[in-house]
Amino acid sequence: MLRYTNLYGLFLIQRFKILMEYRVNFLIGASSTIILQMAGLLTIWVVMRQVPSLNGWSLHEVLLIYGLITLSKSLNHMFADNLWTIGRQYIRSGAFDRFLVRPINPLFHLLADRFCHDGIGNFLVGSVLIVYSLRALDIPLTISNLLYLLVAALSGGAIFFGLNLITGTSAFWLMDAVPVMRLVFDNHLFAQYPLTIYPRAIGILLTWLIPYGFASFYPASYLLGHHMGWLAWLAPFVATVLVVIGYRVWKIGLRHYSGTGS
Amino acid sequence: MFHGMRRKASVYGAMASVIPKIYMAYSLWFWVSLVLNVIATTIFVFFWRAVYANTNSIAGLDLQQTLNYILLAQIFAPLGNMQLIFEFGYNLREGGIAHALLRPVDFQGSYYGQYLTTMVTELVLQIPLALVVTLVFKVQWPTDPRVWVAFIVSAFLGRTVLFFFDWILACLTFYTTEVWGLGVFVDGISMFFSGRLIPLTMLPPLLLVIAGMTPFAQAFYIPISLLSGVKPLSQAPRLWLLQAIWLVALWVLSRLIFRVAVRKVTVQGG
Repeated sequence: MLRYTNLYGLFLIQRFKILMEYRVNFLIGASSTIILQMAGLLTIWVVMRQVPSLNGWSLHEVLLIYGLITLSKSLNHMFADNLWTIGRQYIRSGAFDRFLVRPINPLFHLLADRFCHDGIGNFLVGSVLIVYSLRALDIPLTISNLLYLLVAALSGGAIFFGLNLITGTSAFWLMDAVPVMRLVFDNHLFAQYPLTIYPRAIGILLTWLIPYGFASFYPASYLLGHHMGWLAWLAPFVATVLVVIGYRVWKIGLRHYSGTGS
Repeated sequence: MFHGMRRKASVYGAMASVIPKIYMAYSLWFWVSLVLNVIATTIFVFFWRAVYANTNSIAGLDLQQTLNYILLAQIFAPLGNMQLIFEFGYNLREGGIAHALLRPVDFQGSYYGQYLTTMVTELVLQIPLALVVTLVFKVQWPTDPRVWVAFIVSAFLGRTVLFFFDWILACLTFYTTEVWGLGVFVDGISMFFSGRLIPLTMLPPLLLVIAGMTPFAQAFYIPISLLSGVKPLSQAPRLWLLQAIWLVALWVLSRLIFRVAVRKVTVQGG
C-alpha cells in the first residue's frame, strides 16, 4: 500500500510537470468545469427565485444535493478519469501492453497515468456548494456531520468509479468503452435533483440498479433531518460492492485482452 | 461566371457530402445518443413539472408552453452545437491544417459548407428523438406553415451567425494550442446563454441583457422561440434583420481575425 502511495505521488509529480508546461491551458482546463457547472446552477437559481420550492425542496436544499453529487463526481474525475480513454488511447494503439510488462497493478497504472485537472473545477464547485448550503440551512458543521460528509463524498466517488470500472472494462471486447460508459454515467444527472421529483421507477433505478442516489439524495436527506432509516448509512456498502464487482469484471476483461496495435 | 459558380458548388458540395458518411460510420453512437437524449429530456420534463407544482406561470409562460419550448429545444439542439474549436485543435495536432490551408478553395467557405451539412445531418439523426418526445411527452408541433418558414429562415441565419463566432473562437487555438479546456469553457457559456436550458424570458433583466449581447441566443433561442410560439410570428421580420446585422458584423470580423491569427499557426504533428 505504501509502495503504491509513493508511486502515485511520483506519477502525480510527472503529470503536474507536463501540465505546467502549458500553464494557461492548465488554468483554462481546471476552471472550464466551473463554467460548465455554472450553466446548470444559474438555471436552478433563475427558476427557483421565482417559485417557492421544487416539489417541497427549497433552493438551498437542492443546492446541497447538487453539491454532493458534484463533489463525488469530482473525485472520480480527478483520480479515475483515464478509464474513459482506455479503449481509444491504450487498447486500440497497443499502448496497454506496457502496463502488462511492468511490476505494478495494470489498473493502478492506468489510473495513475493521468490525473485529470479538469476535475479540480468540479471539486471546488461541489465543496463551495455544500458549505454554502449547509450554512444557509443552519446545519452546523459538527465533527459528526463533517465525518458523515467525508464518508458520503468518498463513497459517492467510489460509486462513480465502480460503475465506470464495470462499464469501462467493455473496452477489452469493444475497443472503445465510451458509448457503454455514457449510457450508465449520464444517469447521474437524475441525481442532481431530489429523487422525489421523479416517478417511483426512476427512484428505484437510481437506488438499486445505478445507485447514484447514494452519492447525493440520501446523504443530503440525512443531513436535512429527513427520516431515511438505514438507507442513510448504506452508501459505503454500496460503494464497496460496486468496486469489488468492478474489479472482478476488470480481471475478466484483462484475461480477454489481446493487443491490437504495434 | 456560371461555370465558375457550378465548379465551386461542386467542390464545396463534395467536401460537405463527407459529413453524413462520417456519422453513418459510427452507428453505435447513433443509438447511444438517442438514449442519452431521452435521459436528458426526461430529467428536463420532471424538473419543470416539479417547478410548476407550486405556480401557474413563470415570466408569462405556463407549464405547457415551457415544456413545449424545452422539448423543441432538445429536438433542435444541433442548431446550437459548436465544433470548430475542437476541429481546429485536432487539425493543428495532427498536421491536417497544413493541407487544408494549401487547398485551392476558400478555407472558411469549405468549413461553412461542412458546418451546415453537419447541422442538417444531426437534425436528421434527431428524428427518432422527435418521435419519442411526440409520443411520450406530447410535444405540440406548430401547424401554421408560416411559423415553419419563420423558423427555417431564422435557424439558417442563426446558424451562420454561430459559424462566424465559432470561427473567431477557433482562431484562438492558433495561440493556445490546447483546446479541451477552451472548448468546455465555451460550451458552458453557450449552454446557458443560448436558451437551451431555460427560456431566456425567465432571466432577470441583467442576465437577459447579457444573453442578448451574445450570438448564442441568435443561433438558438430566436428560432426555437419562433417555433414554440414564445415569440409571436409578427416579430419575425425584426428578428431576422437583427440576425442579419449580427451575421454581417461577425463575418467581417472573422475574416479580419483569421488573417492575423493564421500567421501564428504552428503545426504540432503530421
